Amino acid sequence: MAHVVVPSILAAQAEGRQRFDVRAETVGEALHALPVADLLFNERGELNRHLNVYVDGIDARDRGGLRCPLTAVREVRVVAMVSGG
Amino acid sequence: MQRSADRGKTWRRSSQIGLPEESGMTLEAVWHIEPGRPDEPETLFLGAAPGVLFRSDDGGESWEVNRGILEHPTRERWFPGAGGMCCHSIQLDPRDERRMYVALTAAGVFRSDDRGETWAPVNRNVVADFLGDPHPQVGQCPHKLLLHPLRDRLWQQNHYGVYLSDDHGDSWLRLDGNGLPSGFGFPIMLDPTDPEQAFVIPEKSPEYHHSSGGQLAVYRTRDSGETWELMADGLPKQAWAAVLREASASDTESLYFGTQSGSLFALTEGEVWVEAVRHLPPILSVEVTEWPT
Repeated sequence: MAHVVVPSILAAQAEGRQRFDVRAETVGEALHALPVADLLFNERGELNRHLNVYVDGIDARDRGGLRCPLTAVREVRVVAMVSGG
Repeated sequence: MQRSADRGKTWRRSSQIGLPEESGMTLEAVWHIEPGRPDEPETLFLGAAPGVLFRSDDGGESWEVNRGILEHPTRERWFPGAGGMCCHSIQLDPRDERRMYVALTAAGVFRSDDRGETWAPVNRNVVADFLGDPHPQVGQCPHKLLLHPLRDRLWQQNHYGVYLSDDHGDSWLRLDGNGLPSGFGFPIMLDPTDPEQAFVIPEKSPEYHHSSGGQLAVYRTRDSGETWELMADGLPKQAWAAVLREASASDTESLYFGTQSGSLFALTEGEVWVEAVRHLPPILSVEVTEWPT
């Protein structure tokens, strides 16, 4: 079971829920299981720009990206990048 | 894409909009939503980047890409403007249910005579001075295209000039040499009761996107572009404002436009502009509708 946290702007699209416990083996599976998955990924299943994902505080890109296994992971956190500034 | 059925109190997002995998493209940005014809209240069209058009027949819940635009044989000669390769104008002919128009930056104006199945580029006489051939079949940079509701007359504010066409876009007449301070600008407004009238808000140049001569000004023609007259009563002087392509609207009552510096203007009695709201963030889009109280 993975614990996923999304930023408030995405929580607003999930009836206010910011935290989700989802059954998944990888970061990608966990994010795809969220009710806001369509806002996280484009039509090719690639993570949208302006989003960062941290796995126990480490940038997911440094842990294999969406394929990062969730074994022994406590938290996956989606962060909306401060872009445009 | 979000939609509201209660005048904006609550919003619900549509199912995901995307491009088919074989296109090799992904959706970059949504630019314009155009309602379908009055007898198709559940139909909507949506223009987006990279140069794509979608249609919904269920009130915006689901969307299907238009193949004729997606797979257009001239697409390899299209290229993006500063805002991307946007499909920003969608106009349905109220006199012929088979005919519609789109305008894309920088690809040009396209017409369909078969309900959107196939599309012909209609850009004759429209210059594209940024290309080696200034009169190509495609590659022009329309900024906004409007079809007059009463007559088969198209108006176009282009990167290079203001144009009209009275033959469904088959040929265009350039009008900005007749008294406009600049041919560059983004929005264009029409008087829905008079096809001879149009209103533009010129900007200094393609390099300088702000009002020309330090005066925020609307210019009107009442004679199909033969002459243009300044309509600046009530508009600020010493203003270097810019108006985005979606940030104007018109109806039988008035004209409305919003600036990137966050002011919304409306034309009132005596042809005086009134700043209806100020200190907003940049105004991206203006639409006008009846709002029962």
